Amino acid sequence: MKETLKLGLVLAAFAVGACVALALVYAVTGPTIEGHEVKQLELSLKELFPDADSFRALDGDVAPKDPSVKFDQTYEVTRSGSPLGVAVKVRGSSYGGDTTLLVGVGTDRRITGVKVLDIKDTPGLGANAKSPTYFVDKSTKTTFPGQFAGKPLSDPFEVKKDVVAITASTITSKALANMVKQAGASAAEYLERSALGGK
Amino acid sequence: MKRLFALFVKGLVAENPLLMLMIGLCSALAVTTSVENAIGMGLAMTFVIVFAELVISLFRNLIPNSVRIPTFIIVIAAFTTIIDLSMKAYFPELSKAMGVFIPLIVVNCIIMGRVEAFASKEKPVDAVVDALGMGLGYTWVLVGIAAFRELLGNGTLLSAQIMPEAYQPILFFTLPPGGFLVFALFISFNIWLKRVMDRADRAPVKEAA
Repeated sequence: MKETLKLGLVLAAFAVGACVALALVYAVTGPTIEGHEVKQLELSLKELFPDADSFRALDGDVAPKDPSVKFDQTYEVTRSGSPLGVAVKVRGSSYGGDTTLLVGVGTDRRITGVKVLDIKDTPGLGANAKSPTYFVDKSTKTTFPGQFAGKPLSDPFEVKKDVVAITASTITSKALANMVKQAGASAAEYLERSALGGK
Repeated sequence: MKRLFALFVKGLVAENPLLMLMIGLCSALAVTTSVENAIGMGLAMTFVIVFAELVISLFRNLIPNSVRIPTFIIVIAAFTTIIDLSMKAYFPELSKAMGVFIPLIVVNCIIMGRVEAFASKEKPVDAVVDALGMGLGYTWVLVGIAAFRELLGNGTLLSAQIMPEAYQPILFFTLPPGGFLVFALFISFNIWLKRVMDRADRAPVKEAA
């Protein structure tokens, strides 16, 4: 009994020491880490909506119709009070697992832009979706996400029809095109509703 | 002094954790697609092993034998979390590229192995030297493999274009099978290196006799 108690106390002592050290490190690094995340997101949103001056998070107002994709977060983007569109952080499954995109949808029912935030697909193949130097159209230097900019939502968003695939990465290309399509459809619906509701 | 130096060099070649002891391989193969990641992973792992070995060696007489493994894990996990948080705060890009492999240093067999087999029995100075040898032994192999794979598989080194425009990257090297192949080449290189060193060690003795 005494022995067990001693073992427990020794372990507890080490755990307490470790916790104190971690608490100190966390107190120092915590704010910096949070700052990075917010800045990162704002930079990405600014890329999709260069004119925007404010972003407001929407909670659950925009939901995907296709169960294979999830919306992590949606933002209403405005410029001096008037809506510019909606940005959707959409998560879906691609060749290598979860993939996250940020899709901007304008009030004119066009995609304003797509940014690949996180992709785990094969380097040199599917992961080229994120590469700024991989072009689906070399003459105009259009990247894979770049080709969606300005695309009307009435398009079918189908690989080999109106979406140029990444070479040898059809699964990635199809998955990403579908994620953009789903985000676009739901965002457009929200924009219509809020325009009607006069919000 | 000479003894400490021998202890340090042992981790680099003769008992290199990756190439000779063959432990800690999974993360090693996964992060070596770019030199930048390899350097980051190598230094993070060196930081954790040095401090873990130091702390455990300092407290080696206070750790009861029956709870030594949980104690080791607490110490290793604490240092791993410290490096994970620091990288997230000061090197966010690198930390993103390494993903889950930094937290997984906790269960890296190299650290567990050295702590159990070395630091829990030896003096703090020896433990730190052993940890430096093991950590740098791990780092040089990672950086070497990554340089090979990044140059051939992507045509770049540290993200700078090295190969001429016309070079068609050999994708095979960035994929896991290429990693295994390069890794095997490094093992054979290391065995050759060890033989050369052993011969150099023995030669003067023979002359004296």
